[in-house]
Order: sequence, then structure tokens, then C-alpha cells
Amino acid sequence: MIIKVDREKCAGHARCWALAPDLFELDDEGYVLPGDILVPPGQEALAGRATRACPERALSIGED
Amino acid sequence: MASQPKVPDHVPAHCVGAFNLYKSPEMRPTPFGDPFAAVAKLLDGPSVFYAPETTRDGQGAWIVTTAEEQRNVLQDGASYSSYRRIFSSAIGEDWPVIPLELDPPEHGKYRSMLNPLLSPKRVAALEPFVTAKAVELIEGLKARGTSAEVMTEFAFPLAVSVFLAFLGIPDDRLMEFVGWANELLHMGPAERTAAAHKILNFLEGMIAQRKEEPADDFMTFLVQAQVEGRPLTDQEIRSIAVLLFIGGLDTVATAIGLDLYFLARNPDRQQELRDDPAIMPSAVEEMLRAFPSVTPIRTATRDMDLGGCPIKKGDLVSCPSMASSRDPAEFPDPNTIDFNREDNRHTAFSYGPHRCLGSHLARREIIIALNEWFARIPPFRIKEGTAPVTFGGFVFGVENLVLDWS
Repeated sequence: MIIKVDREKCAGHARCWALAPDLFELDDEGYVLPGDILVPPGQEALAGRATRACPERALSIGED
Repeated sequence: MASQPKVPDHVPAHCVGAFNLYKSPEMRPTPFGDPFAAVAKLLDGPSVFYAPETTRDGQGAWIVTTAEEQRNVLQDGASYSSYRRIFSSAIGEDWPVIPLELDPPEHGKYRSMLNPLLSPKRVAALEPFVTAKAVELIEGLKARGTSAEVMTEFAFPLAVSVFLAFLGIPDDRLMEFVGWANELLHMGPAERTAAAHKILNFLEGMIAQRKEEPADDFMTFLVQAQVEGRPLTDQEIRSIAVLLFIGGLDTVATAIGLDLYFLARNPDRQQELRDDPAIMPSAVEEMLRAFPSVTPIRTATRDMDLGGCPIKKGDLVSCPSMASSRDPAEFPDPNTIDFNREDNRHTAFSYGPHRCLGSHLARREIIIALNEWFARIPPFRIKEGTAPVTFGGFVFGVENLVLDWS
């Protein structure tokens, strides 16, 4: 499972990071780093919740 | 007899709605009111409609109610401009507050400069100060008795002193600043103009002082900051200083007040937070969703269709956060306040590039304020014989909130 990141849409709400700080890395401005995120086994549910927390719809779940 | 409100020719009659963010009955100052419930009812109607005379200065605007359509507007700075001279018009000038009234891509370079100062990690460093201030204020009002008007004795002093400390402005004139914000945001044209001059004069004095004597604060950061390899101009510095000064004076205190107003009338919900203090961050998110205070407004840059309505270049488009946050398509049972709500993509801090710059600080302040309040104050209620007054308008809120814990 991967999380696809649409960096153009990220507006720095950081709700993903608030829920799953180990999955999402923020830059110095507090915006998510660009690039797909590989979800470690066992963290799929958390990844799903963090993805759905994005007000901008900048995150989506994909297959690796 | 009142004259019929003006509706522009391009607005079809079936697109006109009766609701007005300032003048509808529920938006006016109301004892024990619930302006949020009144706005939530808009979701029973169309996703976009035209409201004559709905802005502060009596202009008409398209009101967008659903989360999806608000996202379409607020994420699209090319079609919907943020430039409205909200501050400079008060003093007969023509300049944007920065970065709020700039559009992409111009907006981005200032925003990138400011973002690191208020990033989630940076605001964590302010937590000890916020906590100490909250404890000091609560212990102070406890020592004075078993009731307090919490807007003036807790919410405003806390939110404003935290923000002034961040900006590097001494807090000995704190309630005077709150008065300026009130005159600027909530009163008539003459008061608004006078307040704008007072704010600008004060900030220009601060800026001049920090140029002479740098300190470790935001004002000094501004006078030393670079954009595109050059220092900021004096006009840029005052445009940013004005925005941050106003932005910190009203909204966080309002959020704390609205939360306490809800909790005071709902003892069972207080008990929920006392039984499980760990849910406070999630509860604060939910109360931000249920009681957001701000309405972003944009100006259409071209003719287009939005939600089946013909938007014309130059039209105002208003996106009340209290409408989208009660959208049933986005939030199941939107009028139920559920402290454990999942997928809470609320709009209290808006959408898109103009997402509230201070949102991470605001969240921490509200959580700390309520945590410390609940740790120190027993079950509380509205003091008998008093009536809190709610109001709508540009920033929703509550005043005369006298809580009793005797």
C-alpha cells in the first residue's frame, strides 16, 4: 500500500502528520514532503485515517 | 418602508436567497442565540445562491454553502482573487494586507517566508508560555470568586497576550488593542477608520523601533527579512504587520469563548471531557468544526458557472466556514457534536493556499486553554440572571459570557 501525495494541493494543515507523525514528514514550512509514501505492513488503517484527514484532498491511497 | 435590496441584472431571480450574514435575525446580537444552527439550515437549500447586501459594507455576494463548492473556490486563486482592500479601504488607501490579499504565485513567496515561523513544530516551543499564562489567568479569577466573565477575564487576555508575545509587542495595552480590533471588525465606518489609523500608527512606531534596536521577535524578523534576495520594503512590512496584528486579536479568543458557551450549557459534555481528558484534541477539532467564526470572501476574476449559478467577473463570492462545516455530504450527522468524530476535515481554517497561517498556534492555544480550565474549574454553567449574547457577521462570536462554578 502506498499513499500518493499531490504536493501542489498541500496547504500545510498538517492533519496527516498530527495523526501519523511516523508516516508523514513535514518540511520546514510545515508542508508534507513530495513523493509517494510506502506504508509499512500493519499501518494500513492508520494510513487510511490520516489520508482521509486531509481537508484539501491532497492524499490518496494507491497500490505499490 | 425599506427599499428592495439591489440585485444585479445578471443574477436570475431563482438564484436569489433571503439569507444575510449580518442582518438575518439570528445573525444579530441574540441572548442565548445559536447563529451556527441558522447557517446550518442553508445546507437544505442550493449549494450557491445570491445574497443581496450580505457583506459588512452592504454589497451583495454569492454565498457558497457546501464543502465541495467552497473547495472549488478557495483552492482556485486564479479564478477567485483574494484582493479586497479589507484594511487599506478603511483609510482611503489601496494596498493588500500580505499574504492574505495576494493571489498565487505572488502570494507564495511571502507565505514561504512566514510559514516556518508558525509551523506545527515551531509553535510547540510556545506551549510553556501559553500554559503558564492560562494557569495565571485561571488562578487569578478563581481567587476572585466563583464566577467570571470569561471573555474579558480569560479568553481575550490569554489569546492576545500569547500573540503579542510572539509579535514582540508588550502586553500592557492588551485590552486597548482588543478594543481596536472590535472597532475595526465589528463597528461602523467612522470607528473602523479611526481604529485602522490607530493600529497603523502603533505598528509603524514598533517597526521604526525594531529597525533601531533589533530584538528576538517577529517584528525584528520582518524588518530583517528578505524576499527574492532583497529586504522587504516599508510598505510590505506594514502590510504584513497589520495582518498578523489583526489576525491574532479576535479569532482564538472567540473560539475559546464559543467552546465554553457550548460546554456551560451542556454539563454532560463537560463530564465527557472530565472522564477522558485524552480526547481534548479531538474534541477541540470537533468544536472548531461546529463553531468556526470566519467567512472568507473572494472576487471572481472572470465570468463562470458555479453550482449552476452565473458568476460574473467582479462578483463577490462568500464562503462561510460555518456552512461548509455543517455539510451533511462531508460530515455525517453534521449538527451532532461528536468529540470522537473521524475524518474531521473541517473548514475552520479555510481551504487552499490561504489556509490560516496561525492555525497550528490557534489549535494549541485552544487545547491548552480548555485543558487548564478543566483541570482547575469544577463543573460550570451560565450564571443565573445573566445572558450570553451571540452574534454573526464577519467574525461570529459570543460576549457577556459569565460562568458560575459555585
